[in-house]
This record gives sequence, structure tokens and C-alpha cells, in this order.
Amino acid sequence: MAASTAQKVQEVREVTRIERIGAHSHIRGLGLDDALEARNVSQGMVGQTAARRAAGVILEMIKEGKIAGRAVLIAGQPGTGKTAIAMGMAQALGQDTPFTAIAGSEIFSLEMSKTEALTQAFRRSIGIRIKEETEIIEGEVVEIQIDRPATGTGAKVGKLTLKTTEMETVYDLGTKMIESLTKEKVQAGDIITIDKATGKINKLGRSFTRARDYDAMGPQTKFVQCPEGELQKRKEVVHTVTLHEIDVINSRTQGFLALFSGDTGEIKPEVREQINAKVAEWREEGKADIVPGVLFIDEVHMLDIESFSFLNRALEDDMAPVLIMATNRGITRIRGTSYQSPHGIPLDLLDRLLIISTSTYNEKELKQILNIRCEEEDVEMTDDALTVLTRIGLETSLRYAIQLITAANLVSRKRKGTEVEVDDIRRVYSLFLDESRSTQFLKEYQQDFMFNEVDPAGDNDEEMDT
Amino acid sequence: MASSMAWLETLRKSRKTALIQDGRRKLHFILLDGRELVEEYDVKTNDLLVRKWKSKNVLGREVKWEFEIGEQFRRPAAGGEADLLMESSSNPIFTRKDTRQAFQWRIRNLPYPIETYSLSVDQDTRCCIIRTSNKKYYKKFSIPDMDRAGLPLQQSDFSMAHSNNTLIINYKKPAEILALEKQVIAEIQKTKESKEGDMECAPS
Repeated sequence: MAASTAQKVQEVREVTRIERIGAHSHIRGLGLDDALEARNVSQGMVGQTAARRAAGVILEMIKEGKIAGRAVLIAGQPGTGKTAIAMGMAQALGQDTPFTAIAGSEIFSLEMSKTEALTQAFRRSIGIRIKEETEIIEGEVVEIQIDRPATGTGAKVGKLTLKTTEMETVYDLGTKMIESLTKEKVQAGDIITIDKATGKINKLGRSFTRARDYDAMGPQTKFVQCPEGELQKRKEVVHTVTLHEIDVINSRTQGFLALFSGDTGEIKPEVREQINAKVAEWREEGKADIVPGVLFIDEVHMLDIESFSFLNRALEDDMAPVLIMATNRGITRIRGTSYQSPHGIPLDLLDRLLIISTSTYNEKELKQILNIRCEEEDVEMTDDALTVLTRIGLETSLRYAIQLITAANLVSRKRKGTEVEVDDIRRVYSLFLDESRSTQFLKEYQQDFMFNEVDPAGDNDEEMDT
Repeated sequence: MASSMAWLETLRKSRKTALIQDGRRKLHFILLDGRELVEEYDVKTNDLLVRKWKSKNVLGREVKWEFEIGEQFRRPAAGGEADLLMESSSNPIFTRKDTRQAFQWRIRNLPYPIETYSLSVDQDTRCCIIRTSNKKYYKKFSIPDMDRAGLPLQQSDFSMAHSNNTLIINYKKPAEILALEKQVIAEIQKTKESKEGDMECAPS
């Protein structure tokens, strides 16, 4: 009995694993209706209707998958939802379309060259839908038995008995399998398939022979026939892999030599050529489809002139994905040169771009965003407090106001309050400086800081070029 | 007859490496289509003990060795497959172990009496099917040697025996197969094998 309650507790803990809340975890899509009109508040998106509608048009283009190598630039001031729009597009595209998000500074790595990093990002964003033969186990669950070790700790062991109309087999379960079986709530009488290589479980339904059990079952319970023949079958499964994954599989050194090859993470151009030829061949034979995806480069002004010229060329390839870039810079220097250009992007690349611009939020929109974030962060707030927070957001920045939500919640919890009130907001506002107050403070007390004796003449530049 | 010679031809054209180890002549072939084949023969009797295949899948990913004859004794290491699921060791184990005159399959861990089993040949898929009347075991298998030689399967050439929890199935090798095997053995004895220990590796 004690053991069974212990099992219960464990189970509950496994199911309610807390997801961490990120800056954009409230975004669930672009919030458009069927006519691509932006709903004012939908799927976590607020305002920016023009930009969202434009993004929706781009999205349609991506979904059709015909056009390769288009590039879009989302430009706007900080905190106007550029990344949010890109995330919304990623969410709206769904699981099967590859979406790669990188930040402009990610390509500057000591391990590989800039162009290699960009090429890999490009190839990560192209999916190939192909049939692959895998071994699957398909059968009806006769019995599932999971034992916890007597000491309470250590790996669980278990047995699973599966049958078809012709045979029956007992399987020993590993820890990972036990976890996914409990997560899928597999029980006796279910018809399941298990992918042998990946261990992915798929519940097909309940066996017809169990139809008369007095089970509490939902209206969507599906009844299926017990499979015939052998339990283990070879089946062709269609799945999407990215070009980069195929590159990696084929660039591994074979045999024991793999132990000695220094793996720099760079992939030889010959391998890529070979893969491209292979993919073209599959496409002609109708064995594979290409699923062009999306490459999102945030902070694109961090790229330098060489990367930009590489992008120019890469976009001309017929296997190129749709490229989305975001920047918060106005007219500024192109990195690696002394030329000025809008958004820090050379004019020849700008010429190839469709530019979407985001505008600043008004007071009503700010309030709605803050409200959505309160829900996402599980914070209760009074209307007055929200109004005060909105004013703060309007005068300082949206990001600062969002930061204050959880801080204020902690303060209110410390005084045993149930809701965040105006006083809590006031308290954290005085505790944490925003950017403009901090600048003000620095201006006043500059003399007292370290290294003040150094003449700050060259600092007005504010660009941090390396 | 012509198709049975084709197999000998593919072996001849493949890249071969041979080695004698633990009283076995081990041969490694890389066929023209890129598949790898390993055969192990007893040095004294020239009986074929192991034949296993390895190929790459569509994407170029390596797949595991597939045993046609003989079996794998090593259990998979923890972490990989052992974390998912494995057939319990109490299940029937199906292996092929040929004798000189017959193809032979042994299915261990089958405790049911001999009346339980029935054997039939499916000519369309060139498969042999074992069924059990108590619905505990079912197996569909083909004879790759016969497929390669393009010979038809005869139900009458099959025989079954059961003892010590093991079901033994025999299929009498036709004359063509016997002739082919003789030629293959003559062929492999021509390949120069390295003895265990004489490595072609100059330590630096």
C-alpha cells in the first residue's frame, strides 16, 4: 500500500514538470484570421497590425514552398516586438517546417569560419521529407509491469508483453522506455507501435476485444483490430530531416579512424556537393520532397561585410530558405567597413529585402501586453497597479515594465499579499533603476566612480566595434 | 544455374580481406554496391558459422550488423538501446546454423510440444512461415541463399524436430546450392589471409 502511494506521488511529480517562462513564451502564433487580417489581441500578440499582416503574407509564401531565397527584414526600435513576430511565424509554421533562429553574433566562433557557420544555419533551415525504412513493433499490450527497486532509489525495471493475433513476446524495458510509457499512459488493451530506433510510442487505439470492459473512456476512444503476423515489422516512415543532419551523418569518418580525426565541426564542401546531387536525384525519382524552411537572424547588424556578401550569393541558390532578419539599428556603420548604411546593411543586400517595420506601442497596447505577461508569469495584479505599470512602461521601456512584474510579485508575496498593488510597484520602481534614471545617476556621480581620471573624449561613439 | 553463378561473381568482384583467428577463417567483403559482408568458416571443416551483413540506409546512416547465419552474443551496452526496450532473454531465439547437407534453423526457448507447430511455404513472397496453434510464436523467414540462386522452395524438403526446448527446422540443400558452396570455398581459399598477430601496422 505504502509503495503504491509512493508511486502515485512520484507520478504526479513527473507530470507537472514546470516549464520555464521565457521572454516570448506567451507567443502562440501571429494572431491572424483566415483573410490574413490581424486581430488586435490574439495568440499573445498585441498591436503591430500592419507588421503582422505583412508577416502573414510572407508566411503564406513560405507555406507554399515554391519560392526560394527571399529575404525579409523586420526593422524597428527596441522593444517593439520584432523577435515576437519571428517567434509567432515559427509557431504558425508548425512542427514540420524547419525554423532556425540564430543571433547575428553567433557566427563569430573560433571553431569555424563565419561562412561555414552561416552555411550550416542555411542548411539547417532546409528540410527533406523522405521515406526511411525503420523497424517498428506493433501489437496489443497484454501486460505492463513496472517494478520500483526495493530501496526506493535506482533505476526502475519493467516488462512489457505484447501480442498479435499470431504471437506473443515479452520485452525488457529500459528507464527511458518506462518513462515514456507512463507519460503516454499505456495500459493493457491498448494497441501501440514503438519505433525501435528512437523508442517513440504511438497509441493507435484500444483493442476490439476490450470493447466490453467497464472502462471509463472518452468519446474519442478509438477501437482497432489486433494486428496480425509478426510483432516486429519493417515499415516505411515519412519524416523530415534537415540538409545539415544529412551532412553530419555522411561526414563522419568511418571506423576506428574516427577516433583520431580532430572534429572541427566544419563539413567538407565535397560532402555537401555529394549530398546536393543525391537530393536532386531523389527529387527527380520522386523519393523525396524539399521543405524550405525559415532562417531567422536576430541582431543582423552584427554581421560584417563579408557575411553580407556571402548572404547575397547564398540567397541565389535554388535550395535557399526564406531568410528573416531583424535589427533595431537606424543608419549606422556596416561592420567591418567605414561606410554608413541604413540598418547597417549594405545597399545591394537591402535591395533584395522586403522590409517590415514595427512601430512603438500605444498606452492601450502596452497595458494589454503587460496583462498577457502577468497571466504568463502567473501574477495577480490590481487594475490600479497595472495602470501604474503601464505608465512606467510608457515613460521608460516595455522591457523594464515587464521585468518589474515578477519582482513586484515577490515583494507582494513577502508582505503576504494576494495581489500586486500600487505600493508594490512603487517599491520595486524605487529599488531597481531603469535605463534613463541610471544614466541620470551616472551623470551626477560620475566623479566618484573608478578610472574617472581617464579622459572620456572618445566614448561618445557608443558603437562597440571589435 | 546462371543466377547461382552470379553470386559467385559478385563475391569475386568484391574487395576481400581475410584473417584466421580462434580457429575460424574470417572474411570481410565490400560488395560493389557498398554493402559489407562478413563470413566466418571453421578452418578444419569449412563449415559456415557466421554470415552477417551491414549496409547504410537511405540517408547514409550506418545500421547494425544483420545476422543471416549465426547469432550475436554480446548484449547492447547500457545507455543506447538498453534504455529503450529489448526482447527478454526468455523469448524464443531464432538462429540459423547450417550443416553440410542442409540449411538448419534452431529456435530455442520454445517449450511447447511438436504438435503445436505447423510449417508452410508461401511461394509468392518466397517465405517459410512457422505458426503455433497456441498463438505464442509466429515467424516468417526466407532463405537468402535460395533467393540468390533463384531456386524455388519445396515444402517437402522441410523437416522439423523438437527437443530440449528447441525447435529444429531442416531444409535439404539442393544440388545446385551444394555445387555453388563448393566453388565458393575453393574461391575463398585462394585469398591470402593474415594470421592473428601479424599486423600490418608499423608502430612509430
